[in-house]
Amino acid sequence: MGSAFSYYFATLVVYFGVDLLSAWSLNLQYGYAGVINFAFIVFQAAGAYIAAATVMGPDTAPGAFQTYIFGANLPFPLPLVLATLAGAVLSAVIGPFALRRLRRDYQAAVMLIVSLILLQVVSADIHLFNGANGLSGVPRPLFSSLGLSLNAWQWLFAVFVLAICVVVYFLVEWLCRSSWGRSLRAMRDQEDAAAALGIKGTLLRIEVFIIGGAIAGLSGGLLVEFISAWSPGAWGYPETFVVFTALLVGGVGNNRGAIIGTLIVPILVLELPTFLPAFGYPGLVDAFQWILIGLLWMIFLYVRPRGILPEPRYIAPDRDGGTATGGPLGTLKRLVTHGRGDLRPEIEPQAQPGRGPVGVQVARRVALDHGGDAGTGR
Amino acid sequence: MHLFLQTLGFGLVTASIIAVASMGFTIQFGLTNVLNLSFGSIMTVGAFIGYLIEQAGVNAWWGLLFGGLGGAVLTLLLGRTVFKLYARRGTRLFEMVMVTLGLALVIEYIVDAISRAQLYSVSFPQGASVNIGPIILTVSQIIVIGIGIAIFLGLEGLLRHTRLGKALRAMALDPSLARSCGIPTGRIVNATWLLSGFLCGAAGVVYVINALSVTFSTGLDFLPTVLAAAILGGVGSPRGAALASLAMGLVTAFVAAAGGSAYSTVAAFGILVVVLLSKPSGLSTVAARRVELTL
Repeated sequence: MGSAFSYYFATLVVYFGVDLLSAWSLNLQYGYAGVINFAFIVFQAAGAYIAAATVMGPDTAPGAFQTYIFGANLPFPLPLVLATLAGAVLSAVIGPFALRRLRRDYQAAVMLIVSLILLQVVSADIHLFNGANGLSGVPRPLFSSLGLSLNAWQWLFAVFVLAICVVVYFLVEWLCRSSWGRSLRAMRDQEDAAAALGIKGTLLRIEVFIIGGAIAGLSGGLLVEFISAWSPGAWGYPETFVVFTALLVGGVGNNRGAIIGTLIVPILVLELPTFLPAFGYPGLVDAFQWILIGLLWMIFLYVRPRGILPEPRYIAPDRDGGTATGGPLGTLKRLVTHGRGDLRPEIEPQAQPGRGPVGVQVARRVALDHGGDAGTGR
Repeated sequence: MHLFLQTLGFGLVTASIIAVASMGFTIQFGLTNVLNLSFGSIMTVGAFIGYLIEQAGVNAWWGLLFGGLGGAVLTLLLGRTVFKLYARRGTRLFEMVMVTLGLALVIEYIVDAISRAQLYSVSFPQGASVNIGPIILTVSQIIVIGIGIAIFLGLEGLLRHTRLGKALRAMALDPSLARSCGIPTGRIVNATWLLSGFLCGAAGVVYVINALSVTFSTGLDFLPTVLAAAILGGVGSPRGAALASLAMGLVTAFVAAAGGSAYSTVAAFGILVVVLLSKPSGLSTVAARRVELTL
């Protein structure tokens, strides 16, 4: 248990927290709203760059050797707030264009293209964020004023990151359970039916895109304050896969599943091999890691497309004393769900002896859901 | 004026490379409705086959043939096994995109592991410089343009005048109707995998002939351009893909000539952005409702 181990472990905790925020952000977008955001890492990068530039001071200061925009000397929590805003603002710019009335597979392709365009622009243009070399020497927040040893500071920061994770967890859980979250799921599963209930699909997608982007920006800001450097090498498109794989493995549409997925994919698969004896040429282990991530991704899509902990069924108390999934969404689902979550236009055979025909049951529940529940509120 | 024509020449070279790949992509996507993101990785495999053939000292034309064949066989195999497996499992249209992306990652890093993550230079003979009026191009650049035009014409001829081509177009429009008309849909899908795979592998080789180097990420780096051209040209239309490639190739060349070489590719994507913003009818969700995977 040397200090090297303590250092490494603190780093792992921070990575875990950052990856967790990423997974929840993506879960909100992909798991709950069905938006395939293949540009996810761009929003993390935006947060990271802004958080870095706003503590590094103006790039015209004496001794400055890097060129960047938005240079400032802001006190500690402000850069993180700005990072969060940066993620949200970038999402608000990209979202309305990429999430228009496009087929979902086109949306995914457009996101991938957006991700590569922005990477190219930032790498090529040295005036934005120092080009391909990226920003380095980002001051650690409060490090000098607290007067702690580096290791103690790292642990303090790790605790800070975990505290933010707890707050964000309750926030996303609350969002997912709110009427807004129910609308998201309704839109994801049956867009036409949801539209008939007055749910505006495109607007909802843009909203969830912006909220997810804000969380991504925050995670990027936290990461850069810890590792104190950020360059285009840190946000290639494979990094987005890592978060997606974590979600697919852990559980799509389940925020606790995302925790399991984050433990397995970015931590176990990507960090544990550091302990393995090196073999082959340098980089071979990396290649195997990516192959493993790709295989995990494909195997989970085949075997358990909804992950280890699948999306919970949202059960609301029924006035009859039984249980029914809540809200118009539940009714919708009962009308269209058949088998293991596949959505087909068939009525689930629910008729039980003594409870009346299916049609009567469904009609009663429709009335119940609308009377007994506030509905989606939209 | 001289610079303009010279830039036009370079633009045509770039356009030809994009065209070969995007025509293959658009045929595949138009018929099977799989937005296949592993297309780029298969292109890399084709490029490496071209490199190996060149290393063996064999004529570059054989490289083109075998690169294409490699792409064809690999695409058919993946289509018959992986994609079919997922389609049977009930994977839907947009989840299939995720499957192909995972596949892209696996293939890319298998190539990475085998190629030891190195950049390999290829020394295809460039030939003498040829003056066509004021445009100066090397022989190999002219050959690249020639290949692009030849494949475009061949594909057009195939689609319009042969039984296979007509069956392919019929199936792309309405698979179930095509089946009831007696078109052997299974075999047509196989033919599509082979044809598009061949174009994909060949595009990899053509890319290498021009760029003179190959590495494990070559194809995936090129993929967005191919995707953009295929989407821009209207899915399933090789003619549209060729036109879109022409536009993207020329824009790339002219922006590079104007001094913005860092932004040249970005400018090409800019066209796609403009088209997406101007609401193309073929991309709307309304049209997508009826689309199913055809495997």
